Amino acid sequence: MELFVDGKRKSLRHSGDISALLKKLGVRREEVVVKLNGRLAPETSEVGAGDKVEVIKVVFGG
Amino acid sequence: MAPVKCSKCGSDAMIFLHYVRRHLCSRHFREMFEKRFRSTVREFGMIKKGDRIAVGLSGGKDSTVLLRCLHDLSDDLPMELVAVTVDEGISGYRDATLKIAKKEAKKLGVEHRIVSFKKDVGKSLDSILGKDGSLACSYCGVLRRGLLNRTARDLGADKLAMGHNLDDAAQTVLMNVLRNEPGRISRFINPAIKHPSFVPRIRPLLRTPEKEVAIYAMARGIRIEHKECPYARFAFRQNVRRQLNEMEELHPGTKFKVLGSFLAMDWMMKGAKAKDTELAVCSSCGEPASGARCRFCEMMEQIRS
Repeated sequence: MELFVDGKRKSLRHSGDISALLKKLGVRREEVVVKLNGRLAPETSEVGAGDKVEVIKVVFGG
Repeated sequence: MAPVKCSKCGSDAMIFLHYVRRHLCSRHFREMFEKRFRSTVREFGMIKKGDRIAVGLSGGKDSTVLLRCLHDLSDDLPMELVAVTVDEGISGYRDATLKIAKKEAKKLGVEHRIVSFKKDVGKSLDSILGKDGSLACSYCGVLRRGLLNRTARDLGADKLAMGHNLDDAAQTVLMNVLRNEPGRISRFINPAIKHPSFVPRIRPLLRTPEKEVAIYAMARGIRIEHKECPYARFAFRQNVRRQLNEMEELHPGTKFKVLGSFLAMDWMMKGAKAKDTELAVCSSCGEPASGARCRFCEMMEQIRS
Protein backbone atom coordinates (compact mmCIF):
# COMPACT_ATOMS: atom_id res chain seq x y z
CA MET A 1 0.00 0.00 0.00
CA GLU A 2 1.20 3.49 -0.88
CA LEU A 3 0.29 5.95 1.89
CA PHE A 4 0.44 9.75 1.82
CA VAL A 5 -0.53 12.06 4.68
CA ASP A 6 -0.93 15.69 3.58
CA GLY A 7 1.23 14.94 0.56
CA LYS A 8 4.04 13.29 2.52
CA ARG A 9 4.78 9.63 1.91
CA LYS A 10 4.52 7.43 5.02
CA SER A 11 5.59 3.92 5.55
CA LEU A 12 3.04 1.75 7.38
CA ARG A 13 1.75 -1.80 7.04
CA HIS A 14 -2.03 -2.00 7.25
CA SER A 15 -4.84 -4.24 6.25
CA GLY A 16 -8.40 -3.43 7.28
CA ASP A 17 -10.61 -0.40 6.80
CA ILE A 18 -9.68 3.28 6.57
CA SER A 19 -11.11 4.07 10.03
CA ALA A 20 -8.63 1.65 11.60
CA LEU A 21 -5.84 3.13 9.49
CA LEU A 22 -6.66 6.65 10.73
CA LYS A 23 -6.60 5.41 14.32
CA LYS A 24 -3.18 3.86 13.72
CA LEU A 25 -1.98 7.20 12.33
CA GLY A 26 -3.43 9.10 15.31
CA VAL A 27 -5.56 11.23 12.97
CA ARG A 28 -9.04 12.42 13.97
CA ARG A 29 -11.57 11.11 11.44
CA GLU A 30 -13.62 14.31 11.57
CA GLU A 31 -10.71 16.43 10.38
CA VAL A 32 -9.61 14.60 7.25
CA VAL A 33 -10.87 13.22 3.97
CA VAL A 34 -9.37 10.15 2.36
CA LYS A 35 -8.78 9.38 -1.29
CA LEU A 36 -8.47 5.74 -2.22
CA ASN A 37 -6.79 5.20 -5.60
CA GLY A 38 -7.47 8.85 -6.49
CA ARG A 39 -11.18 8.94 -5.50
CA LEU A 40 -12.86 10.16 -2.33
CA ALA A 41 -13.77 7.10 -0.28
CA PRO A 42 -15.77 6.38 2.91
CA GLU A 43 -13.79 5.32 5.99
CA THR A 44 -15.56 1.96 5.85
CA SER A 45 -13.58 1.08 2.70
CA GLU A 46 -11.10 -1.77 3.06
CA VAL A 47 -7.55 -1.09 1.95
CA GLY A 48 -4.76 -3.47 1.19
CA ALA A 49 -1.67 -4.18 -0.86
CA GLY A 50 -1.55 -2.30 -4.15
CA ASP A 51 -3.85 0.53 -2.99
CA LYS A 52 -2.86 4.19 -2.96
CA VAL A 53 -4.26 5.97 0.10
CA GLU A 54 -4.13 9.77 0.55
CA VAL A 55 -5.11 11.30 3.88
CA ILE A 56 -5.84 15.02 3.52
CA LYS A 57 -6.48 17.40 6.42
CA VAL A 58 -9.46 19.61 5.64
CA VAL A 59 -10.50 21.00 9.02
CA PHE A 60 -8.35 23.91 10.14
CA GLY A 61 -8.50 26.67 12.68
CA GLY A 62 -8.77 30.16 11.31
CA MET B 1 -10.94 -4.58 -2.62
CA ALA B 2 -14.52 -4.03 -3.86
CA PRO B 3 -15.70 -0.42 -3.35
CA VAL B 4 -18.39 0.26 -0.75
CA LYS B 5 -21.76 1.01 -2.39
CA CYS B 6 -24.22 3.91 -2.04
CA SER B 7 -27.14 3.01 0.25
CA LYS B 8 -29.53 4.65 -2.23
CA CYS B 9 -28.46 3.55 -5.71
CA GLY B 10 -25.67 0.99 -5.50
CA SER B 11 -23.01 3.18 -7.19
CA ASP B 12 -19.59 3.55 -5.59
CA ALA B 13 -19.91 5.49 -2.31
CA MET B 14 -17.77 8.56 -1.59
CA ILE B 15 -18.84 9.21 2.01
CA PHE B 16 -20.19 7.41 5.05
CA LEU B 17 -22.48 9.53 7.23
CA HIS B 18 -21.72 8.01 10.63
CA TYR B 19 -24.60 9.82 12.39
CA VAL B 20 -27.23 8.14 10.19
CA ARG B 21 -25.12 5.10 9.22
CA ARG B 22 -25.58 5.68 5.51
CA HIS B 23 -23.22 5.50 2.51
CA LEU B 24 -23.75 7.99 -0.31
CA CYS B 25 -22.34 8.31 -3.82
CA SER B 26 -21.32 11.68 -5.24
CA ARG B 27 -24.74 12.38 -6.78
CA HIS B 28 -26.79 11.48 -3.70
CA PHE B 29 -24.37 13.28 -1.37
CA ARG B 30 -24.69 16.49 -3.41
CA GLU B 31 -28.48 16.15 -3.46
CA MET B 32 -28.61 15.66 0.32
CA PHE B 33 -26.20 18.56 0.92
CA GLU B 34 -28.13 21.01 -1.26
CA LYS B 35 -31.51 19.93 0.13
CA ARG B 36 -30.26 20.53 3.69
CA PHE B 37 -28.83 23.93 2.70
CA ARG B 38 -32.18 25.03 1.28
CA SER B 39 -34.19 23.64 4.18
CA THR B 40 -31.97 25.49 6.69
CA VAL B 41 -32.56 28.76 4.81
CA ARG B 42 -36.32 28.07 4.95
CA GLU B 43 -36.39 26.84 8.55
CA PHE B 44 -34.89 30.07 9.92
CA GLY B 45 -36.54 32.35 7.34
CA MET B 46 -33.05 33.54 6.42
CA ILE B 47 -33.74 35.05 2.99
CA LYS B 48 -36.72 36.85 1.49
CA LYS B 49 -37.31 37.24 -2.23
CA GLY B 50 -35.35 40.26 -3.51
CA ASP B 51 -33.02 40.49 -0.48
CA ARG B 52 -29.58 41.93 -1.07
CA ILE B 53 -27.19 39.51 0.61
CA ALA B 54 -23.60 40.39 1.48
CA VAL B 55 -21.57 37.19 1.70
CA GLY B 56 -18.52 37.18 3.97
CA LEU B 57 -16.08 35.58 1.52
CA SER B 58 -12.69 34.74 3.00
CA GLY B 59 -11.90 32.36 0.14
CA GLY B 60 -11.77 29.39 2.52
CA LYS B 61 -13.89 26.33 1.76
CA ASP B 62 -16.89 27.30 3.91
CA SER B 63 -17.45 30.79 2.50
CA THR B 64 -16.69 29.66 -1.07
CA VAL B 65 -19.23 26.81 -0.84
CA LEU B 66 -21.69 29.23 0.77
CA LEU B 67 -21.38 31.67 -2.14
CA ARG B 68 -21.80 28.87 -4.71
CA CYS B 69 -24.89 27.47 -2.97
CA LEU B 70 -26.48 30.91 -2.58
CA HIS B 71 -25.74 31.62 -6.23
CA ASP B 72 -27.48 28.34 -7.18
CA LEU B 73 -30.40 29.12 -4.85
CA SER B 74 -30.86 32.53 -6.49
CA ASP B 75 -32.23 30.72 -9.57
CA ASP B 76 -35.30 29.76 -7.51
CA LEU B 77 -35.28 32.46 -4.84
CA PRO B 78 -34.26 35.73 -6.53
CA MET B 79 -31.70 37.66 -4.46
CA GLU B 80 -28.83 40.03 -5.12
CA LEU B 81 -25.43 38.81 -4.01
CA VAL B 82 -22.38 40.86 -3.14
CA ALA B 83 -19.18 39.42 -1.67
CA VAL B 84 -17.12 41.07 1.06
CA THR B 85 -13.58 39.97 1.89
CA VAL B 86 -11.59 41.18 4.87
CA ASP B 87 -7.82 41.01 4.51
CA GLU B 88 -6.59 40.90 8.10
CA GLY B 89 -2.95 41.11 7.07
CA ILE B 90 -1.68 37.70 8.18
CA SER B 91 1.52 37.05 6.36
CA GLY B 92 1.75 33.76 4.46
CA TYR B 93 -1.88 32.86 5.17
CA ARG B 94 -4.50 35.21 3.74
CA ASP B 95 -2.91 35.86 0.32
CA ALA B 96 -3.79 32.42 -1.08
CA THR B 97 -7.46 32.51 -0.01
CA LEU B 98 -7.74 36.12 -1.18
CA LYS B 99 -6.83 34.93 -4.68
CA ILE B 100 -9.49 32.19 -4.51
CA ALA B 101 -12.09 34.75 -3.31
CA LYS B 102 -11.33 37.10 -6.22
CA LYS B 103 -11.45 34.27 -8.75
CA GLU B 104 -14.69 32.83 -7.37
CA ALA B 105 -16.54 36.18 -7.29
CA LYS B 106 -15.40 36.91 -10.84
CA LYS B 107 -16.45 33.47 -12.06
CA LEU B 108 -19.95 33.89 -10.64
CA GLY B 109 -20.22 37.53 -11.74
CA VAL B 110 -20.72 38.71 -8.14
CA GLU B 111 -19.72 42.25 -7.09
CA HIS B 112 -16.74 41.96 -4.74
CA ARG B 113 -15.54 44.45 -2.12
CA ILE B 114 -12.21 43.89 -0.38
CA VAL B 115 -11.42 45.76 2.83
CA SER B 116 -8.31 45.41 4.94
CA PHE B 117 -7.15 45.96 8.49
CA LYS B 118 -4.18 47.88 7.12
CA LYS B 119 -6.31 50.39 5.24
CA ASP B 120 -9.42 50.51 7.40
CA VAL B 121 -7.97 50.00 10.89
CA GLY B 122 -4.54 51.49 10.23
CA LYS B 123 -2.46 48.37 10.93
CA SER B 124 -2.34 44.76 9.75
CA LEU B 125 -3.14 42.06 12.34
CA ASP B 126 0.54 41.03 12.30
CA SER B 127 1.60 44.59 13.21
CA ILE B 128 -1.09 44.97 15.89
CA LEU B 129 0.10 41.79 17.60
CA GLY B 130 3.85 42.17 17.20
CA LYS B 131 5.49 39.10 18.73
CA ASP B 132 2.60 38.18 21.04
CA GLY B 133 -0.04 36.23 19.13
CA SER B 134 -2.00 35.20 22.21
CA LEU B 135 -4.70 37.87 21.69
CA ALA B 136 -4.95 37.33 17.94
CA CYS B 137 -8.45 35.85 17.92
CA SER B 138 -9.87 38.57 20.17
CA TYR B 139 -8.54 41.38 17.96
CA CYS B 140 -9.25 39.59 14.71
CA GLY B 141 -12.81 38.59 15.68
CA VAL B 142 -13.89 42.05 16.85
CA LEU B 143 -12.23 43.99 14.03
CA ARG B 144 -13.31 41.56 11.29
CA ARG B 145 -16.94 41.50 12.46
CA GLY B 146 -16.90 45.30 12.70
CA LEU B 147 -15.54 45.75 9.17
CA LEU B 148 -17.93 43.15 7.74
CA ASN B 149 -20.91 44.90 9.33
CA ARG B 150 -19.85 48.37 8.15
CA THR B 151 -19.08 47.20 4.63
CA ALA B 152 -22.30 45.19 4.32
CA ARG B 153 -24.24 48.25 5.49
CA ASP B 154 -22.37 50.55 3.06
CA LEU B 155 -23.28 48.15 0.26
CA GLY B 156 -26.96 48.36 1.21
CA ALA B 157 -27.20 44.70 2.25
CA ASP B 158 -30.30 43.39 4.01
CA LYS B 159 -28.42 40.41 5.46
CA LEU B 160 -24.84 39.34 6.01
CA ALA B 161 -24.30 35.64 5.17
CA MET B 162 -21.53 33.90 7.08
CA GLY B 163 -19.94 30.53 6.26
CA HIS B 164 -20.27 29.18 9.81
CA ASN B 165 -21.00 25.46 9.74
CA LEU B 166 -22.31 22.93 12.28
CA ASP B 167 -18.85 22.48 13.83
CA ASP B 168 -18.51 26.24 14.36
CA ALA B 169 -21.99 26.40 15.91
CA ALA B 170 -21.43 23.45 18.25
CA GLN B 171 -18.03 24.87 19.28
CA THR B 172 -19.57 28.29 19.95
CA VAL B 173 -22.31 26.79 22.12
CA LEU B 174 -19.77 24.80 24.17
CA MET B 175 -17.27 27.66 24.42
CA ASN B 176 -19.88 29.99 25.80
CA VAL B 177 -21.11 27.38 28.26
CA LEU B 178 -17.52 26.78 29.40
CA ARG B 179 -16.97 30.54 29.75
CA ASN B 180 -20.33 31.13 31.44
CA GLU B 181 -21.45 33.60 28.78
CA PRO B 182 -25.02 32.54 27.99
CA GLY B 183 -25.94 35.89 26.41
CA ARG B 184 -23.37 35.37 23.67
CA ILE B 185 -24.83 31.97 22.77
CA SER B 186 -28.22 33.50 22.33
CA ARG B 187 -26.80 36.20 20.02
CA PHE B 188 -25.02 33.66 17.81
CA ILE B 189 -28.09 32.36 16.06
CA ASN B 190 -30.89 34.59 17.23
CA PRO B 191 -31.92 36.79 14.31
CA ALA B 192 -34.02 39.02 16.60
CA ILE B 193 -31.26 41.62 17.12
CA LYS B 194 -32.68 44.90 15.91
CA HIS B 195 -30.47 47.93 15.55
CA PRO B 196 -30.38 50.50 12.76
CA SER B 197 -26.64 49.97 12.17
CA PHE B 198 -26.61 46.20 12.50
CA VAL B 199 -26.89 44.04 9.40
CA PRO B 200 -28.54 40.77 10.54
CA ARG B 201 -26.38 37.65 10.11
CA ILE B 202 -27.57 34.47 8.45
CA ARG B 203 -25.77 31.13 8.57
CA PRO B 204 -27.15 28.77 5.91
CA LEU B 205 -24.48 26.10 6.64
CA LEU B 206 -25.54 25.94 10.27
CA ARG B 207 -26.70 22.31 9.99
CA THR B 208 -23.80 21.12 7.81
CA PRO B 209 -20.74 19.39 9.35
CA GLU B 210 -17.44 20.99 8.34
CA LYS B 211 -16.06 17.78 6.86
CA GLU B 212 -19.07 17.57 4.55
CA VAL B 213 -18.43 21.14 3.37
CA ALA B 214 -14.92 20.04 2.38
CA ILE B 215 -16.15 16.91 0.60
CA TYR B 216 -18.84 18.93 -1.22
CA ALA B 217 -16.20 21.47 -2.30
CA MET B 218 -13.98 18.68 -3.64
CA ALA B 219 -16.92 16.98 -5.38
CA ARG B 220 -17.71 20.26 -7.16
CA GLY B 221 -14.09 21.00 -8.03
CA ILE B 222 -13.87 24.02 -5.71
CA ARG B 223 -10.28 24.67 -4.73
CA ILE B 224 -9.48 24.29 -1.03
CA GLU B 225 -6.47 25.99 0.51
CA HIS B 226 -4.95 23.53 2.99
CA LYS B 227 -3.50 25.99 5.44
CA GLU B 228 -4.17 26.79 9.06
CA CYS B 229 -4.14 30.33 10.42
CA PRO B 230 -0.77 30.72 12.19
CA TYR B 231 -2.58 32.17 15.21
CA ALA B 232 -5.09 29.29 15.53
CA ARG B 233 -2.94 27.50 18.10
CA PHE B 234 -3.60 30.31 20.59
CA ALA B 235 -7.36 29.95 20.34
CA PHE B 236 -9.57 28.43 23.03
CA ARG B 237 -11.74 27.27 20.11
CA GLN B 238 -8.92 24.97 18.98
CA ASN B 239 -9.17 22.92 22.20
CA VAL B 240 -12.95 22.79 22.01
CA ARG B 241 -12.74 21.71 18.34
CA ARG B 242 -10.40 18.83 19.21
CA GLN B 243 -12.59 17.63 22.10
CA LEU B 244 -15.77 17.84 20.04
CA ASN B 245 -14.21 15.93 17.16
CA GLU B 246 -13.11 13.19 19.54
CA MET B 247 -16.63 13.03 21.00
CA GLU B 248 -18.12 12.92 17.50
CA GLU B 249 -15.91 9.97 16.61
CA LEU B 250 -16.98 8.08 19.73
CA HIS B 251 -20.62 9.19 19.60
CA PRO B 252 -21.62 10.11 16.05
CA GLY B 253 -24.22 12.88 15.98
CA THR B 254 -22.78 14.76 18.98
CA LYS B 255 -22.46 18.06 17.08
CA PHE B 256 -26.06 17.89 15.87
CA LYS B 257 -27.15 17.18 19.45
CA VAL B 258 -25.20 20.14 20.88
CA LEU B 259 -26.80 22.48 18.35
CA GLY B 260 -30.21 20.84 18.81
CA SER B 261 -30.02 21.27 22.61
CA PHE B 262 -29.13 24.91 22.19
CA LEU B 263 -31.96 25.57 19.74
CA ALA B 264 -34.45 23.84 22.05
CA MET B 265 -33.27 25.90 25.04
CA ASP B 266 -33.31 29.04 22.92
CA TRP B 267 -36.92 28.36 22.04
CA MET B 268 -37.87 27.64 25.67
CA MET B 269 -36.17 30.83 26.89
CA LYS B 270 -37.59 33.11 24.20
CA GLY B 271 -39.40 35.45 26.58
CA ALA B 272 -36.66 35.54 29.19
CA LYS B 273 -33.81 36.48 26.90
CA ALA B 274 -35.25 39.59 25.27
CA LYS B 275 -32.80 41.73 27.28
CA ASP B 276 -29.75 39.98 25.83
CA THR B 277 -30.65 40.87 22.27
CA GLU B 278 -31.04 44.62 22.82
CA LEU B 279 -28.03 46.55 21.64
CA ALA B 280 -27.00 50.09 22.54
CA VAL B 281 -25.38 52.70 20.30
CA CYS B 282 -21.63 53.28 20.70
CA SER B 283 -21.03 56.80 22.05
CA SER B 284 -17.92 57.17 19.84
CA CYS B 285 -18.94 55.82 16.42
CA GLY B 286 -22.66 55.06 16.50
CA GLU B 287 -22.17 51.35 15.72
CA PRO B 288 -24.05 48.66 17.69
CA ALA B 289 -22.56 48.15 21.15
CA SER B 290 -23.28 45.94 24.14
CA GLY B 291 -22.00 48.68 26.54
CA ALA B 292 -21.50 52.45 26.29
CA ARG B 293 -18.79 52.01 23.63
CA CYS B 294 -18.34 49.23 21.11
CA ARG B 295 -15.43 46.77 21.31
CA PHE B 296 -14.19 48.01 17.91
CA CYS B 297 -13.59 51.54 19.28
CA GLU B 298 -12.05 50.18 22.49
CA MET B 299 -9.62 48.09 20.46
CA MET B 300 -8.80 50.96 18.08
CA GLU B 301 -7.86 53.04 21.11
CA GLN B 302 -5.56 50.26 22.37
CA ILE B 303 -3.99 49.85 18.94
CA ARG B 304 -3.32 53.59 18.57
CA SER B 305 -1.94 54.06 22.11
